[in-house]
Amino acid sequence: MSPRRPPLPPAPPGVSRRIVLSFLVSAAGAVGFAVTYGLGGNTRWEGVCLAVAFAGLATGLATWGRRLVPAGGYVEEHEGFTPPPVEQALTAEELTAPDSPIRRRGLLGALALALSALGVAALFPLRSLLPWDRPRPDEALKTTPWRPGVRLVTAEGRPLRPEDVPEETVVGVFPEGAVDAGDAPAFAVRLRPERFTRPPAGGHLDGLVVYSLLCTHAGCPVRLYLHGTGRVLCPCHQSSFDLFAGARPVAGPAARPLPGLPVEVGPDGFLRARGDFTAPPGAGFWSWP
Amino acid sequence: MIVDRFVRAVDDRLRLSPITRKALAKVFPDHWSFMLGEIALYSFVALILTGVYLTFFFDASSADRVYRGSYAPLDGSSTSAAYASTVRLSWDVRAGLLIRQTHHWAALVFVAAIVVHLIRVFFTGAFRKPRELNWFVGVTMLTLALANGFTGYSMPDDLVSGLGLRIIVSVVESIPLVGSWLVFLALGGEFPSDEMIPRLFISHVFLVPALLVALVSVHLAMIVRQKHTQFPGPGRTEHNVVGSRLWPSYTLRSLALFAWVLAVLFALGGLVQINPVWLYGPFSPAQATSPAQPDWYVAWGDGALRLFPPWEPRIGDYLVPAPFVPGVVVGGVTFLALYAWPFLERLRTHDRRRHHLLDRPRDHPVRMGVGVAALTFYAVLVVAAGDDIIARLLRIPVYDLLSVFRVLVLVLPLLTGALAFLLARALRRGDAARLGDLTRADLAAARGREPPPAAEEPEQPARDRTGERIELWPEGEVWRWRYQDPDAGVTLVGNRAAPTEEEAVAAARLAYPGVDRVVVPGPPPAAPPGRVRTALRRGTDLVMGVSLLVAALRQRRGRRGPDGPA
Amino acid sequence: MQQRARTGARAGWPVPRRALAVGAALVLAAGPATLSSRPAPGPSTAAPTGTPENGQRGAELYRQQCASCHGPRGQGSQRGPSLVGVGPASVDFQVGTGRMPVPNETAQPRRDEPVFSADEIAALVDHVASFGGGGPQIPRVSAGSVPTGREVFAANCAPCHGATGAGATLTNGWDAPPLYEATPVQIAEAVRVGPGLMPAFPSQVLTDQQVNDVTAYVRQLRSERLDRGGNPLGRLGPLVEGLVAWIVTLGLLVAAARWLGRRAGQ
Repeated sequence: MSPRRPPLPPAPPGVSRRIVLSFLVSAAGAVGFAVTYGLGGNTRWEGVCLAVAFAGLATGLATWGRRLVPAGGYVEEHEGFTPPPVEQALTAEELTAPDSPIRRRGLLGALALALSALGVAALFPLRSLLPWDRPRPDEALKTTPWRPGVRLVTAEGRPLRPEDVPEETVVGVFPEGAVDAGDAPAFAVRLRPERFTRPPAGGHLDGLVVYSLLCTHAGCPVRLYLHGTGRVLCPCHQSSFDLFAGARPVAGPAARPLPGLPVEVGPDGFLRARGDFTAPPGAGFWSWP
Repeated sequence: MIVDRFVRAVDDRLRLSPITRKALAKVFPDHWSFMLGEIALYSFVALILTGVYLTFFFDASSADRVYRGSYAPLDGSSTSAAYASTVRLSWDVRAGLLIRQTHHWAALVFVAAIVVHLIRVFFTGAFRKPRELNWFVGVTMLTLALANGFTGYSMPDDLVSGLGLRIIVSVVESIPLVGSWLVFLALGGEFPSDEMIPRLFISHVFLVPALLVALVSVHLAMIVRQKHTQFPGPGRTEHNVVGSRLWPSYTLRSLALFAWVLAVLFALGGLVQINPVWLYGPFSPAQATSPAQPDWYVAWGDGALRLFPPWEPRIGDYLVPAPFVPGVVVGGVTFLALYAWPFLERLRTHDRRRHHLLDRPRDHPVRMGVGVAALTFYAVLVVAAGDDIIARLLRIPVYDLLSVFRVLVLVLPLLTGALAFLLARALRRGDAARLGDLTRADLAAARGREPPPAAEEPEQPARDRTGERIELWPEGEVWRWRYQDPDAGVTLVGNRAAPTEEEAVAAARLAYPGVDRVVVPGPPPAAPPGRVRTALRRGTDLVMGVSLLVAALRQRRGRRGPDGPA
Repeated sequence: MQQRARTGARAGWPVPRRALAVGAALVLAAGPATLSSRPAPGPSTAAPTGTPENGQRGAELYRQQCASCHGPRGQGSQRGPSLVGVGPASVDFQVGTGRMPVPNETAQPRRDEPVFSADEIAALVDHVASFGGGGPQIPRVSAGSVPTGREVFAANCAPCHGATGAGATLTNGWDAPPLYEATPVQIAEAVRVGPGLMPAFPSQVLTDQQVNDVTAYVRQLRSERLDRGGNPLGRLGPLVEGLVAWIVTLGLLVAAARWLGRRAGQ
C-alpha cells in the first residue's frame, strides 16, 4: 500500500474552534480540581471541577464524532450463524470418533463418579464457615443470654430497680454481661394492670412488663413507643404491637406477638430475669417451636 | 509515520493487522437506544476506578476502634473499625468524600442503566434466538449488580444499612429447612457476627467484581461475534448490519458518552449528598431509626415485605415465617421469570427462526402488556417501600396508605398492562407512526379480533424489486462495493475493502442475497455525502477546474510561443 | 405571619434564618441566654412570679384561651385533658412552641408561631401551676458534650425522630416532628415532659447532664455543616437518592445517548 495519505479535509471553522475550546475547558477543570485539592479540598468544588473536566472532554469528543466524522452509511455482512450442515456433522463426528473418550461409556461413568465424589468432598470445608466451636443454628436461635438470675441493666451497664421504670417512659434493657448480644435486647415499660386485655406473656410486676425488642417479622428493634396508647411500632415495615394485649401484632406484616421476659426483684433490690424469653426472639425460622 | 512503524512493530510480532482491520471497520447500528448498555458499562468502570481508591482507606473489620477526627459528634466514640474508617474517609481524607459519594451514585446509576437497557432489549425482542445466551448473561449481571450494591452499602456498618442486613438475614432465615443454616454459614454465627463485615468486603471487592468483569467480557464478546441487532429499515436485512463504523465514528461517540457519564457522576458525587453514615450513627442491635429504607434497587423487596399480609402458616410442627413469600418467593419468581422469558415466549409464538432484525415494541402486544404490567408491579413496590415517608409528607395515617398500596399493587399492573396491550395493538393495526397519532378508529380496531395475518414477508428481498443493486469497483489494489436503493434514497458502502473481486462479491452476496450485482469501473460518482464531503468535492472540483483552465491557457501560450503568434 | 409559619413548620427542614428570628425574639424577650453554646446560669423563666398583676394576667389569659377546652380550674373536659400536675415545663413547651392553643381541632397539635409573648407565657405557666402541684419544672440547660449527646440520642430519640432528626411517621396520622426548630429549653422540656405520644424521660432514666448532652447534639443536628456531601435531599434517605438517580439517568444520560446516537444533520 502506498504510504501517501489522502489530504485532510479542512474542518468547518466553527466546529474546530468549538472542539478546541471544549478541550481547553476540560483542562481548566482538571487544573481547578488539582488546585482545590491542594488548597485543602472541598467536596463540592472538587466534584464540580471534575465534572467540568469530563464534560469538556465529552463535548469535544461528541462534536468531533458528530460533525467532523461522517456517521452512518456503511453496511457489514453477517455470516448468519448456521454453518453448513456438513460442518456441524463433521464437528459432531470429531467429538464422537472411535478414539474419543466420549465413546467409552463405562470408563466415563467411573470418571464421572470420581469427579462427583471430588466435587462433593470439596464442598465439605464450606462447613467451616460456621466455626465448629459455635452453637448450631437451631440451638443458637432458640436461646439468648437471658438466664434465671441475670440482672437487667441499661445500655451503660447500670442495673435497674423497679422504680427506675416510671409509667411515662420506656427503658431499653440488656442482660448483665452480654450487653452487645444481638438477640438479647429488651425493653421495659410500666402499664396500668387494669388496662390489660390479655395477660402479658412474661407476667408483670405491678404493671411493669418486659418484652423482647426485636420485631417478630424481620428482627428490627421495635423502638417506637407510642406512649399512652400501649402500642410499640417497628420502623422497618410498620408492624405495631399492643402491649395491653400481650404484645400481639395489631397492624402491619408481623404475625406473632413479642416474646416476654419474666422478671422479678432480686434480693439486692434490682430487677433480674426469671428465665429466657417466652419464645425465641426476632424473626421466625423453620424449626421455630 | 509513527503509526506506520507502530503497526509494523506489533504486526511483526503478533500479526494483528487482519483482525484489527476487521475490528476497526466493524459496523454498529446507529440508534440511541443501543447506547444504553454502554451507560451501564461506563458506570461500572467508574465503580471500579473509584472503588479501588476506596479500598485503600476502608478497614473491613468489626473490631472496636475509637474515631478521632474532625466530625465532632463522633470524636472519641468507640465504634467498629469499618464505621470509623468510613467516617474518617468522609471527613478527614481529602477528596475522600467525593470519591465515596461518586462511587455510591455510580452504583445507583449502574443498576438504573441496566434496567433501562433490559427494558430496551425486552421490548425489542433482542433476546430471541440466537441471543438467549446473552440474555442469561445480562440477567445474571443484573443479579450480581444488585448483590454488590447491597454488600457495598452494608459494609460501613452504619445503623440504616445494619437494619437492612438484619432484614435480609431474616428473609434468608425464613427459607424452609435450610434457611437458618444458610444464614449461619454466611455470617459465621448468629447476627450480628464479627465475620460479617470482612465477608461482605471480600464478596464486594473481589468475588462479585471478578464475576462481573468476566461476564461483561463474555457479554461484549458475544455481541462482537453475533453482531448487534438492528431495527428493520431500507437496506437492512437479516444478513447484514447497517450503521457507522467503529473507527472513527463510533469510537468517538462512545468515548464521548464515557466522559459524559463520568462528568455526571462526579457532579452528583460532589454536589448531592448520599448515604451520610456519620448522621446515621454506628449500627447497634438495639437501636433503630425511622424512616428506614434500603437503596432503590432493593426497595422492591422491602415494599413486598411491607405490603404482604401477616401470614405465617405452619406445616406440621414447622413454621413458614412471614418474610418467606414476599421476600424469597417474589424474588425467586422474579429472577426465574427473567431467565425463562425467551423460552416462555418461544413456547407461545412457536418462533424458532433466528432474528437479527428487532421488533418494534408494538409488534408484540402481549409482550408489551406483560412487560408494562411487570414494570408497574415493581414500581409500585418501590414506592410502597417509602409508605411511611409519603404518609408523613401527606399527613395521612400510614395504615390507610398501606391498604391503598395493597390494592394498587394488584390492580394497577393489570390496568397498565391491559392499556399497553391495547395501545400496541392499535399502533400495529393502524397506520399511526407513534402514540400521539393514534385515532379513534385505531383504538376501536384494537379491541376487535386479530385480522388474519398477511402473508409472511420473505426473509430475502424479492428478486423483482426494481432499483436495488450492488455496485462493485476497484480502488487501487483493492475492491469496494456498495448497495443502492434509489427508491428509498439509500446508499450504503461496504465497511471494508476486499483484496479481491471474489471476496467483495462474496460479502455483497451475503449481505444482500438475491440483489443484482454490477461491476462499475473507476470510482463511483457520489459517495454518501456529508457536509464535509460535499464541500470538499465542490472545492476540489473548483480547484481542478481552475487548474485545468490555467493548464489549458498555459499550453496555448506555450504553443503560440512566448513572443506571441509566430 | 402565622400562615408562613405553618408552611415553615410543615416543611420539616431547617429554615435557619426564621428559626433564628423566632429564637432571637424569645431570647430578647425572655432575658437570660438560653442558647446552648453559652452556659446559661439561672432559670429561664423571665417575669418575676407572684405579683398580683401577673397572676391576674395569667388567669385572664387562661380564661380567654384555654378554659374552653381544659376547664376553668384545669380539670379537663372532653375536648382537652386535665392540666392538674402537668408541670410548668409542659405548659411552657406547649405554649412556647405554638402548639397550644390549637387553631382548630386536629389530631396532633403542630409547631407554630406562639400566640403569646414570653411574659404572657410565664404568666400562664404560673397560673396553671397554681391548679395543682407536681410535674416537671422548666429545666435549666447548660453546656453538654456533643459526642455523649449523640449516644443518648441514638439510643432514645432516633427511633422516632430519625437519626438525622428529620422526623418520622407514627400511627393514626401522628408523626414525630423534625427537631430543627426547637430551642435548647424546648428540647429539654420535651424530653422531661413527653408531650403527645412521646414518652417522658424523667431523671431516673436520663440525668440532667445527659439531657444537656442530648440538647447540645440536637442543636448541632440542624447545622448545614453536617451535610458535608452537598444537598441533603431533605435528609429523607435512600429512596429520595434513588429518585434523583433515576431522574439523572433518564434526563441526562439517556438524553445524551439520544443526542449522540443521532447523525449530524438529523
